[in-house]
Amino acid sequence: MHKTVFFLTLITLFSNYSFSQKKIEPSSEDKYTAKALKEKYPDDSVVLLKSEDYITFDFNKKEDKVAVNQESTESMINIDSRSNIQKYCFYDGQSIIDKFEIKNKNNKKASIYVKDEAYTSEDLFHNDTRVKYANISFPLLGYKFKTYISKEYHDIKYFTKLYFNDDYPVVKKIIKIEVPNWLELELREINFEGYSIKKNITKDPKKGSKTYIFTLENIPSFYKENSTPGPTYIYPHILVLAKSHTFNEEKKHIFNSTQDLYDWYKSLVNTLENDNTSIKDKVKSLTENAKNDEEKIKNIYYWVQDNIRYIAFEDGIAGFKPDEASNVFNKKYGDCKGMANLTKQMLIEAGFDARLTWLGTKRIAYDYSTPNLSVDNHMICSLFKDGKIFFLDGTEKFNAYGEYADRIQGKQVLIENGDDFILKTVPEVTANFNKEIFSYNLSLNNDTLEGTVSKNFNGESRTGLLYSFDTLKNDKKEEFLEYYLNNGNTNIKISDIETTDLLNRELNLNISYNISVKNAVSSFDDDIYIDIDFDKELENFQLEKRNTDYVFSFKRSLETTTSLKIPPGYSITQIPKDISISSKNYDMYVTVTKTNNVITYKKSFKIKNAKIETSDFKEWNEFISKLKSVYNEQIVLTKQ
Amino acid sequence: MKIRILLTLFLVFSLTSIGQTKQELKVKDFFWGENDTHKNANEIPDKWKNESAVIIYKNENYDFHKFGKSVTYITSTRKRIKLLDKSAVKEFSEFSFSDLFKEPSKVIVFPIPVVFKVKQHTGSFVGIKIIKPNGNEIEIDVKKESVQVDGKTNIAISNLEVGDIIDYYIYKEDSFKSTYAFGFDPVETTLSEDYPIIDFKLFFETENDFFINFNSYNGAPELKNIPTEKKSFRRYSLEASNIDKYISNRWFYPLLDLPSYKFQVYFARSGKFEDRALAFLPEKENIIKKSVTKEEVLDLYDKRFKPDGDIGDIKDFFKDKTFKNNNEKVTSAYYYMRHYYLTRFIEAIVIDDAGIRYNPYTYYGSNPVFIRNQKQFIRHFTEFLKREKIGFEIVVAKKRFDGSISDLLIEKNVNVLLKVNTKTPIYVEYFGPHTSVNQFSPILEGTDVYLMSASKNKIDEIKKGKLPISSQAQNESKRNITLKINDAFSEVSISTVNSFKGHQKEDKLSERLLFTDYVNEDYKKFGTKSFINHVKRKKDKAKYKKALDALIEKLKIKREERLKKNIESEFKVNDIEDYTFEIKETGRYGLDSYLTYTESFKAKNTFIKKAGPNYIVEIGKLITAQIDLTDKERSRTENIHMNYPRSYNNKIIFNIPDGYSVLGIDKLNKSINNKTGAFISSAKIEENTLIVKTSKQYKNNYEPNSNWHLMVEFLDAANQFTNEKILLKKK
Repeated sequence: MHKTVFFLTLITLFSNYSFSQKKIEPSSEDKYTAKALKEKYPDDSVVLLKSEDYITFDFNKKEDKVAVNQESTESMINIDSRSNIQKYCFYDGQSIIDKFEIKNKNNKKASIYVKDEAYTSEDLFHNDTRVKYANISFPLLGYKFKTYISKEYHDIKYFTKLYFNDDYPVVKKIIKIEVPNWLELELREINFEGYSIKKNITKDPKKGSKTYIFTLENIPSFYKENSTPGPTYIYPHILVLAKSHTFNEEKKHIFNSTQDLYDWYKSLVNTLENDNTSIKDKVKSLTENAKNDEEKIKNIYYWVQDNIRYIAFEDGIAGFKPDEASNVFNKKYGDCKGMANLTKQMLIEAGFDARLTWLGTKRIAYDYSTPNLSVDNHMICSLFKDGKIFFLDGTEKFNAYGEYADRIQGKQVLIENGDDFILKTVPEVTANFNKEIFSYNLSLNNDTLEGTVSKNFNGESRTGLLYSFDTLKNDKKEEFLEYYLNNGNTNIKISDIETTDLLNRELNLNISYNISVKNAVSSFDDDIYIDIDFDKELENFQLEKRNTDYVFSFKRSLETTTSLKIPPGYSITQIPKDISISSKNYDMYVTVTKTNNVITYKKSFKIKNAKIETSDFKEWNEFISKLKSVYNEQIVLTKQ
Repeated sequence: MKIRILLTLFLVFSLTSIGQTKQELKVKDFFWGENDTHKNANEIPDKWKNESAVIIYKNENYDFHKFGKSVTYITSTRKRIKLLDKSAVKEFSEFSFSDLFKEPSKVIVFPIPVVFKVKQHTGSFVGIKIIKPNGNEIEIDVKKESVQVDGKTNIAISNLEVGDIIDYYIYKEDSFKSTYAFGFDPVETTLSEDYPIIDFKLFFETENDFFINFNSYNGAPELKNIPTEKKSFRRYSLEASNIDKYISNRWFYPLLDLPSYKFQVYFARSGKFEDRALAFLPEKENIIKKSVTKEEVLDLYDKRFKPDGDIGDIKDFFKDKTFKNNNEKVTSAYYYMRHYYLTRFIEAIVIDDAGIRYNPYTYYGSNPVFIRNQKQFIRHFTEFLKREKIGFEIVVAKKRFDGSISDLLIEKNVNVLLKVNTKTPIYVEYFGPHTSVNQFSPILEGTDVYLMSASKNKIDEIKKGKLPISSQAQNESKRNITLKINDAFSEVSISTVNSFKGHQKEDKLSERLLFTDYVNEDYKKFGTKSFINHVKRKKDKAKYKKALDALIEKLKIKREERLKKNIESEFKVNDIEDYTFEIKETGRYGLDSYLTYTESFKAKNTFIKKAGPNYIVEIGKLITAQIDLTDKERSRTENIHMNYPRSYNNKIIFNIPDGYSVLGIDKLNKSINNKTGAFISSAKIEENTLIVKTSKQYKNNYEPNSNWHLMVEFLDAANQFTNEKILLKKK
């Protein structure tokens, strides 16, 4: 669960009445610092002058667990004339916040109340995460507060990584990790390249520990950008790999290897009863009339997709242990683990070899070479058939058997295999697999463009549309289709819509209709000016003022061909110039050709890897600028 | 001793448990027991087969009982709904209730901490069952399947599929003690809701001391009396069937056009309390009050609106002033009161909210007067009028969306304002920071009202009257736009002067003005002191000023960011540059005064399209988006209820680039003018400037549906104008 984006009720003015003592007012030096920082971080209002995380470990003999203490000490300064922020810290069943203190500049306790409430997420029906937070007002430029938060993780398994970046820019970040000799810990440095992170290791023979001190200065805040890669790709951080602990010469593994991680997962799965009595009849009805194995598998897989609602309970161990298949079947809802387990048990019931499979979706940068609980966030079912492995993801909707959503493509998966495990990679497809092909055949009728349109959707472009359509209210479906096809533009009238079966996830989706477009043609004297493009995709897709790659939800390929018949007595006097660009991430072009009395306007946009990288931005923006010019340019016909 | 405590606790817990279970079963039996008239109702009519869901049965119950001062108030709702698509399944697959169960209590008893995992009921019960298409009924174990977080009970419904019927009830029992009269929250609703309803039943059970005002409107069935076994007991029901779903629409007042009902129940223990109740009570508990006469209005309000208030400060203000006439005097009094009782405290409110100083109101003397509601305003203002011997009438009005004054039923729906009988009457209403004389809620305009007046010292007369209605010209939104194009035809500069008056000004004032934009203006006008000047201690003064200035600076930055986004969205342009905003006039001292501000910005690659050597300018877009009717809206069947008549007048000044001539201005001349409204536009070229004027007018605040086609004409003309372009032809 990604919790960095956290919204509580935004209060514009909240009070702490702390502003009454001279000693805590900003000095001229504070104000100077604040002003200098504002120049550096114009989009932020508060900066952490110093942020230090001090991590220590204890061994809980009774429970045979390594506990982690994280003490975070921060010093904040206001770089705006006034700021209101929420300082927060999450905890759950596996952790506790011992102290949450806010002090004024003079080290006296600020009269700010720390609240405690359940964290609610749209994605999760119920979870055990809670948040302690304080509303802090900085009444003046240069005003300072200090915070101290002490949090304990009961089990080192759940303490997975440490970031340098924060919600606010940090002038100096120190991460200090004191590792006792009895604990074997790997601190894997991720995304450190390009950052001047200083690392200092000191040994304390008296204490029997080794302390790692990482220091980084002048760190921007987390990027407030949309469609970014997951945070583990873009920010430097330390991945905490707890390998083992040794007491009385007895060494016990925590997650020393992928096998250990698998063993723990498997130990949770092994406690499932797997009493499939309640699903037998359903499996029978889904398979008894199937012509072959493939049809049986599809019937089961599609039934799970269509009939099990995604409702997640992430409460304690339920965050890692799948629900019983029979429970999910009876309740008709579950999370990814529950759906994976139901798919598995139904397939087993039907005589197939199906296994639970763990994986991290595309948002997570790691693979299973790092045994750590933050490696994965998803579970699917693997089906072994005729020497091949098929992946079935019950959380996907309108996903055809053998097709994989972009979010899992290319990702390493950990598949159940008794005491052992299998590592595989989910196959990837090219952008062509998701191709959208639009074709407009138009002619002029006075100042109206008329004609026929066909739109063809494949792969994920089809899946997404079918799913949106399916979730609409019955009485809204017809108007939605029209609205979708005319982009909400009432100048475009749609009629005689014909579609392929909107409930069949295996067929490519074809939509054809008649079109009549007003106000796309202007006549002045003897000239006709035509705006031939009604879709203008990517028109405002300039990627400026952005620090991260732009990530699309899947690899895109769009091809549009528009043919326009020239009315007799007119000649073409102006058409836009062709443009094109090609790189490892995209192939894009627009061409306009004249043959006889027809203008053919062709667009092809292919985003090959579902992303535009920051290194592409300059070239990409130049292309978008040219594309915008093409969109802005009219086709001109002149009376002969 | 400790053991005894433990035992006592157990006893209490188990007793409550058993008691609640019985009650729970009773509730369950009420809805789903033998007398359930709809237990086998599973079918829906063919005409609704394409809906998302159909409510087979909706039952609402209100039960009011008392024992001495103790009042028990029970409300319950049951719905039996056939789910016809995934959207409906999703909607009914999760329920959330507050206060359904008490948090499990934790009792620490040495040496073992004991946690009672008993989910105690709070007097609220929920029952949920699913009826499968084959008739199988599955009852959800709400206690077992729900989770509690911070006092909220959430439940995900198991085994819910398309084609199922979900049947649930929510029962809530509240009790309280009241010596005085107490009015329950009024209910005003249409029979219809988001899904069509096959059968609906509303049921009341009351006894003596409970008074019911109830009426049905627009063809909704009447409430029927059901005979009871006891004289002091009363039962009533309203039953309806075959109710189409509610479709919301623009300019639509559902309570006026759709079958609906309204009610309020009042508890009053004796004649004394009945008299004191602020309600139009029926004469006796066994009478359902359906309407309120003007005499009853007078009877309720005669004493309540007696002129009263400490107006010493007003007298001081008027001491050395002379006025041409009463009209001017009343106007001055209104604006002074608006300042004295409201805007002079605004800084203190801001300072309090921002935590700059605790209780800053102490600086305004020991007992400053705040006017908190309409009724207090009337008493206070009439006290002034009485002293000045200026005649007045108290206007009792009702907002249009809620029906006319002749349909008055619920006291809370009454709005009061004053008609001051100066030579030209002046209307005044309870003020806000920017309200003017003669300004009152536009939703009251043109309505029939009651006018109460005093023959001598007592309000003893009431008669019918009508509130005036403003015109489209009075409620004007005006914008002068200057458009310039750079030499490369790649960027436009737009500067606007925006003026608003009448009701068009109200929202704009709150949107555009920061408190500093108007409190200082008021201090200056009335010679009063700002908050900072009330502070005597030098140190405090400097400290508060610093913090207030910092806050203002931040608010100004936030305002600019917000307004910049507004204009980007209004003109549909991205990433504008060089944005400026400046208030020229606040227009806060008269309904006819203009609020005027300027805005300007630059935008790239917008409004201009290349056409060979020429350019097309999308000049129509400068009047910004107009109502773009969908086919569904064109065929509307409802009457049209708007807030007020209004006009939008634009003047576009376009500097024609050198070396180009303009073609196509004929398309910018439009004229639709009918009794409902108008869209009139004209264009002319003066030297190297194209001047385009447009005026869109909504002439009335109400149109019957039969006039809809006339409105469509001018709405379409305005929308078509936004599509019009001109050609800049290279000479």
